Amino acid sequence: MRLSLEWLEQHAPTGMAADEAATTLTMAGLEVEETEESDLGPVLNIKVTPNRGDCLSVIGLAREMAAAARKPFIDVAAAATPDGGEAGDLVQVTIEAPDLCPRYAARVVRNVTIGASPEWMRRRLVAAGMRPINSVVDITNYVMLELGQPLHAFDLPLLRGAAIRVRRSKPGEAITTLDGAERPLAEGLLIIADDERPVAVAGVMGGADTEIGPRTTTILLESAHFDRKAVRRSSKALGLQTEASYRFERIVDPAGVVRALNRACDLIADLGAGTPVDGVVDVYPGAVPVRTVTLRLARVSQMLGFDLSADEVQKSLQALGFDVTECEGEALAVQTPSWRPDVVREIDLIEEVGRVVGYGRMPEKLPSGATTQGGDSDLGRQMTLAREVLVGAGLTEVVGHSLVAATPLDDDGGERVAIRTALSSELSGLRRSLLPGLADVLARSVRRGQPQVALFEVARVFHEAPGGHTETLSVGALLHGAPSTDAWRAADRPAPADYYTVAGLAQALCAAFKTEPPVMRRASDARFHPGRSAEIVVGGEVIGVAGELHPAVAADLDLRERAVALELSLADLVAAGRRTMGFVEPSAFPGVTRDLAPRIASDTPHEAVRQAALDAAPETLEGLALTDVYSGPNLPAGARSLTLSFTFRALDRTLTDDEVETAMAAIRAALERECGATFVA
Amino acid sequence: MDDLARLVAEAEAEVAGAASTAQLARAEAAYLGGKGALQAQLKTIGSLPKEERPGFGARLNAAKATVLASIEARRGDLAAAEAQGRLAAESIDVTLPGAPPLLGRIHPLTRTIQQVKSVLIGLGFRIVDGPELEDYAYNFAALNYPEDHPAFDEQMTFYVDDTRLLRTQTTALQGRTLQGARLPLRCATVGRCFRYEAVDATHHHTFHQVDVFMVDEGVSMADLKGALKQFAGAMFGGDVQVRFRPDYFPFVEPGVDYSIYWQGRWLELGGAGLIHPNILESHGIDSERYSGFAFGLGIERIHMIQNGVTDLRWYLANDLRFLRQF
Repeated sequence: MRLSLEWLEQHAPTGMAADEAATTLTMAGLEVEETEESDLGPVLNIKVTPNRGDCLSVIGLAREMAAAARKPFIDVAAAATPDGGEAGDLVQVTIEAPDLCPRYAARVVRNVTIGASPEWMRRRLVAAGMRPINSVVDITNYVMLELGQPLHAFDLPLLRGAAIRVRRSKPGEAITTLDGAERPLAEGLLIIADDERPVAVAGVMGGADTEIGPRTTTILLESAHFDRKAVRRSSKALGLQTEASYRFERIVDPAGVVRALNRACDLIADLGAGTPVDGVVDVYPGAVPVRTVTLRLARVSQMLGFDLSADEVQKSLQALGFDVTECEGEALAVQTPSWRPDVVREIDLIEEVGRVVGYGRMPEKLPSGATTQGGDSDLGRQMTLAREVLVGAGLTEVVGHSLVAATPLDDDGGERVAIRTALSSELSGLRRSLLPGLADVLARSVRRGQPQVALFEVARVFHEAPGGHTETLSVGALLHGAPSTDAWRAADRPAPADYYTVAGLAQALCAAFKTEPPVMRRASDARFHPGRSAEIVVGGEVIGVAGELHPAVAADLDLRERAVALELSLADLVAAGRRTMGFVEPSAFPGVTRDLAPRIASDTPHEAVRQAALDAAPETLEGLALTDVYSGPNLPAGARSLTLSFTFRALDRTLTDDEVETAMAAIRAALERECGATFVA
Repeated sequence: MDDLARLVAEAEAEVAGAASTAQLARAEAAYLGGKGALQAQLKTIGSLPKEERPGFGARLNAAKATVLASIEARRGDLAAAEAQGRLAAESIDVTLPGAPPLLGRIHPLTRTIQQVKSVLIGLGFRIVDGPELEDYAYNFAALNYPEDHPAFDEQMTFYVDDTRLLRTQTTALQGRTLQGARLPLRCATVGRCFRYEAVDATHHHTFHQVDVFMVDEGVSMADLKGALKQFAGAMFGGDVQVRFRPDYFPFVEPGVDYSIYWQGRWLELGGAGLIHPNILESHGIDSERYSGFAFGLGIERIHMIQNGVTDLRWYLANDLRFLRQF
């Protein structure tokens, strides 16, 4: 809310300069976001939190200001309250929806002359950010700013049947609002109608049909209390937020309805804009009960953490308009003012006391209760371990967007979780895969002239599933080219990343999470090169995919070299891992290493050869490593030679040559039999 | 001078003149070797009269010992000089750049999250995790948001459907943690949050938050202030002051905005307060006996303050030129 300092000063005479006033309000919880100069002097732009509808008014802010500055609050002068009179004969008010409108009051003004409002009023309205229109409208706006109660003026002769009916809209009804827009009304919105048609959207905006204008002679002034949810629903349904709706949504003082009406009539009379008719029509089916809250002094000190005297507590609350009706021993009975529906229990009062006394007085203590055991979460530790592996392998971590467009790279075959009413395709759903984010970083790096990257991300991916979605941790990596280094010696320059780089990362991750070694099985993922990609299989379960990006994908990214990627489910990796650390006792006896170089058809996968060798080997086989793959002029076309290095060792003895030779012969025979291997004599 | 004395003099001259260990070895062979000159003198022993033999033998041994001592001394000198020479010849340009090790790095947000966690764990807080795709109930209803209230407008929300949304605040985890919790409890959660915000230097639709809360007997605003001072001191270093300003969050009462005084200025960090008794009671916690505090702040904001970064957008841009600096 924007408010000139001089207006505030009228009701809270503190004598403060603008910056001091701004600090005082801010430290009371009414943040002054900026101070501007105007021809009325400084204007404060105050951010009012949604729980404090009462502070969307001059008197609300002045009351806070006076309490914080420990100065008296000067209320707006009491208005005349003309009882009886003929107003009741001129207009018929019926509340047909008392659940949504606890109170509706109206007065009638005759001999209206619509002219300009006085200069002082116009300047205050302008300073508050409102446009002066004419005397009557300006007065209603002025009173709204002053007291917080929105008012509305109808041209009374245009109300058919001189009737006000507060009711829910019916199917097919529509209204042309003051802004000239014709608006169909959804059924059930709270409206003001005359005997025939809607004439206002309650608490939001009046209708054009009954708008006051230069020829208006008699007006009906409305001051009402509408249910905050009803106004909010209308405002949202019509996409229309007004000064009035903004206040009603945040609750306006139900007890101030008639006062605002009378205040406006006084101003109309004083300024010669018309002759108010005696009498107020006040239909008040839903009187708000007075609320009394008990406040224990000991609890105030306990919650705030420092001692306050009974006198201090009482004065703080009284300064804000709370009525301390009883003070029995250590407890106060506090009656909350009608404009503070946000204060309902003891802790709310404690906050009020704290605000007025000031949090600056609060000491700093340290929680002194029982010691608790701190520690990271399981997910946190798992993410840290995955990061350690990939950082150790020289990759750079990125943090990508969870919200992504539906792209082919994101399509891992699962169903996407879509955002309802997305504003743009980039924010239209949640990622199923980390690859699009990584590819995006790569593409931008390529455009910047840094095409060589090695990236990874550890983050959550989302899938829609029958009976609910899944949200799981995923590990993704994307490498393109050789890691860029400043090395001047060729030997220090790493080779460009290829399929085997990401396969190696998968193995390293499996080793770190203590799963059995992964088996790579040819994959059919459309995002990858069909001949250079594989599913990562651990314990028979597919936990991820690794390989070269499909050339079509790479072309979309403007890549010159082959890009390789890896994505696996961290949750599956954890599930496949061993829970407890195992231990293999190192043997004190020497090992024996033997090499074998079978020639095998090139289309026989290494995994098949390896498996055949392992199946044929005795328990004393400690390790099997592939140390070379050769194909070339010395071999027949379509054949390659794999050099396998076997290490044998026993825990309890030195192996004899005989034992080792027997084992090797068995392996050799198995390779010949299972894989068609031949051996050079 | 007899033959023996002359031989010794000759040998000593040759040893002294040897320029390398190889030349010295040749001299050694020439005098002391099996066919060396001194060894040859042994053969003359038989032609001597019997009474002169022992004397000659003794003189011959002494001569050999003298020559051997000279050789050993000279060898030490020559070997040291030669080793010196070899080292000098092996000298390289030590000012050429080192071979760069292949270093990976974690994202600055990860580093900040690790620092936050480590400080909180040290203060006895247990880190807990919750879903980013959250239930409406945990994000709002369980946090004491009044039904259909303008408080929602402050947090433009990404909805998937009526019951699921992207969490707007890590505070959403409070309900999940308090449900059936054993007290006292100190927990913290760090993670991603989402709000429909126009992206600029200080706003993003995706950001990271840490939310810290404890529930125990007699927890007060002063405890909150002290905990914040300790946390902020550990994060930013030095003695920081904490300042509260009243603010409104439906899930805390009293609710405050807190700032710290650090390096000569006040920095607004986030929201805090005592956990609303309505929330404690909704989890069956006796709000008379127990109270709790909660505070939150942005991970990006911490890193920006620590490093003088002025634009929030860098963190999700993943420009390697930015990432390499941390």
